[in-house]
Amino acid sequence: MDILNQLLAGFATAGTPVNLLWAFVGCALGTAVGVLPGIGPATAVAMLLPITSHVDATASMIFFAGIYYGAMYGGSTTSILLNTPGETATMVTAMEGNKMAKSGRAGAALASAAIGSFIAGTIATIIVTLFAPVLADHAVRLGPPEYFCLMLLALTTVSAVLGQSTVRGLTALFVGLAIGLIGMDQITGQARYTGGVPELLDGVEIVLVAVGLFAVAEALHAVLFEGAVKESENKLSRVTMSTSDWRRSFPAWLRGTAIGAPFGCIPAGGTEIPTFLSYAVEKKLAKGEHLAEFGNQGAIEGVAGPEAANNATVTTALIPLLTLGIPVSNTTAILLGAFQNYGIQPGPQLFSTSASLVWALIASLYIGNVMLLVLNLPLVGLWVKLLKVPKPQLYAGILIFATVGAYGMRQSAFDLVLLYGIGLLGLVMRRFDFPTAPVVVGMILGPLAEAQLRNALSIGEGKWTIFLERPMSLTLLCVVLAVLVLPRLLRKRK
Amino acid sequence: MSFISSKKNQEIILSTGIISLALGLALGAYGISSEAGYAGIGPNFLPLLVSAGLFLCGGFLFWEAMGNGFSHLPDADPSDSTQAQPCWSGMAWMSAGLLLSAALITTIGFILSCALCFVCAAHGLRQAHAGPAQAAQSLGIRSWVLDAFLGLAISAPVFWMFTQFLAISLPGLTQSGWL
Repeated sequence: MDILNQLLAGFATAGTPVNLLWAFVGCALGTAVGVLPGIGPATAVAMLLPITSHVDATASMIFFAGIYYGAMYGGSTTSILLNTPGETATMVTAMEGNKMAKSGRAGAALASAAIGSFIAGTIATIIVTLFAPVLADHAVRLGPPEYFCLMLLALTTVSAVLGQSTVRGLTALFVGLAIGLIGMDQITGQARYTGGVPELLDGVEIVLVAVGLFAVAEALHAVLFEGAVKESENKLSRVTMSTSDWRRSFPAWLRGTAIGAPFGCIPAGGTEIPTFLSYAVEKKLAKGEHLAEFGNQGAIEGVAGPEAANNATVTTALIPLLTLGIPVSNTTAILLGAFQNYGIQPGPQLFSTSASLVWALIASLYIGNVMLLVLNLPLVGLWVKLLKVPKPQLYAGILIFATVGAYGMRQSAFDLVLLYGIGLLGLVMRRFDFPTAPVVVGMILGPLAEAQLRNALSIGEGKWTIFLERPMSLTLLCVVLAVLVLPRLLRKRK
Repeated sequence: MSFISSKKNQEIILSTGIISLALGLALGAYGISSEAGYAGIGPNFLPLLVSAGLFLCGGFLFWEAMGNGFSHLPDADPSDSTQAQPCWSGMAWMSAGLLLSAALITTIGFILSCALCFVCAAHGLRQAHAGPAQAAQSLGIRSWVLDAFLGLAISAPVFWMFTQFLAISLPGLTQSGWL
């Protein structure tokens, strides 16, 4: 009953005209960002981080949540209509969605993706509502050793398990940790790697790294390597679903949600595994002519399932972020940065110290889902027009917004030069298949993990055995080990 | 040029770069105090750990680069004309745009420097799309004017929105707050 009361209070906060407007602008902007190639939710939120210095915390978190959510809806539109693989989250949707669009069923694919996102998003938001406060209650009892192990788990999974290569993922992680080291040490105030540059004492802004790695690197990659790439666009058909489409999509949505939701809850991040898993399940369950459609005319289950799994994962990923303060993806890492700008450290205390903010945020997720369904079903034709923006102007425009984000944070021209440098780093990483998520997560989580590690060792009076003496941290260490070793063993046996 | 364009050499250079970065970090870590307090590890612990980790990764990548290579890049073959060549002139234009706007933003203001960046970047991308052969004829004065207009049309409203509505200070050419 307590949860219901707090949720209603959250609705009251999120339902004020100003906050509704923020949610709407966020959803619309998020959809646009998702539709436009070359810019994703992480970039968009990062570019807009400077607003945290003037807009109040609740409004800006509602705004950012709208962008975060909207981009998921918009991304599926692009991956269905455009024959170029978009971001990893929608890669699986593209496989069947593209085939459907080619055989003239783009409308049905878009509808199934949007409604599936809505259903999965709503169910996952209910899960967040019910379980996040419970988890927060338990998480209060965790001490520095447990926190350190949880963060270690998040860092390990983001870098070593997701992505194609463990070594490249770990390299990216260490680069991120190294960037996080620049500036003053949190505990002793000792300056590290500043090279005497006063601008570096405060550390490198998360905006710079995110915008540089994603937006600037994307633009540089486009100008250097993608000149000759020709892309084709599929025709949009009427956005409706037949009875048989409904009958085939509905169970797939629910299965996708069931697969996706648990993946977001554990600090293991990434939507690749749940979306691929959902795709495999749908293909396995399909029979007869429906099975024959997979990979040929395109099967609607192959769009409905992964798209639902994607949204469920993305939504429940807010649970570790809000209750433990552990981000598991690019965008949640940047959301954590936004909280930090307000001097709020997400963690178990968040539900008691900033209750109204958290519940308004959760309520806005329900509202945002409804808004996005409206924005994406009847109005999908409007967003599709964005795909017609010519590449030169699109990327050049993105650079303007990158400049706003990077400069607006600290008003320093030095940051713009740094932005270019990080863009070059991102270009090299992209060219040689290094994942970028570990850099951002490592940079944000690194200093936090270091502080927890040193606090934990202080509690243990300098003895490392403290991590083995406490049952919870020992268990977590075993999980970290299992996450590193098990996939390798399974691969060997195959 | 052929030395640089070979995939193997690129990968060797990159992994050597990672190893040198690790060594540089380790060197820097020696200048950091090791005062540990109760924890037993001080502010120099993580820097040393990161440089060690990076060194191991760089070493492994170097070993892979000497073997079959680690990335999925196709090996560049200059004789194959169907293969897309990187457009270095476009890259130069975009870099110039970004660095010029960084250098000039405090003197000529946000709107003009961003419009300049837009024009340079868009020109570079047009070159990349048109290919070097047609670039000279097709990119006439019209495209410059169009880009300049678009650049101003994007950066001016962005400037007003951020400075007037969100109260984020961006440098202007004048003190009026509108230009």
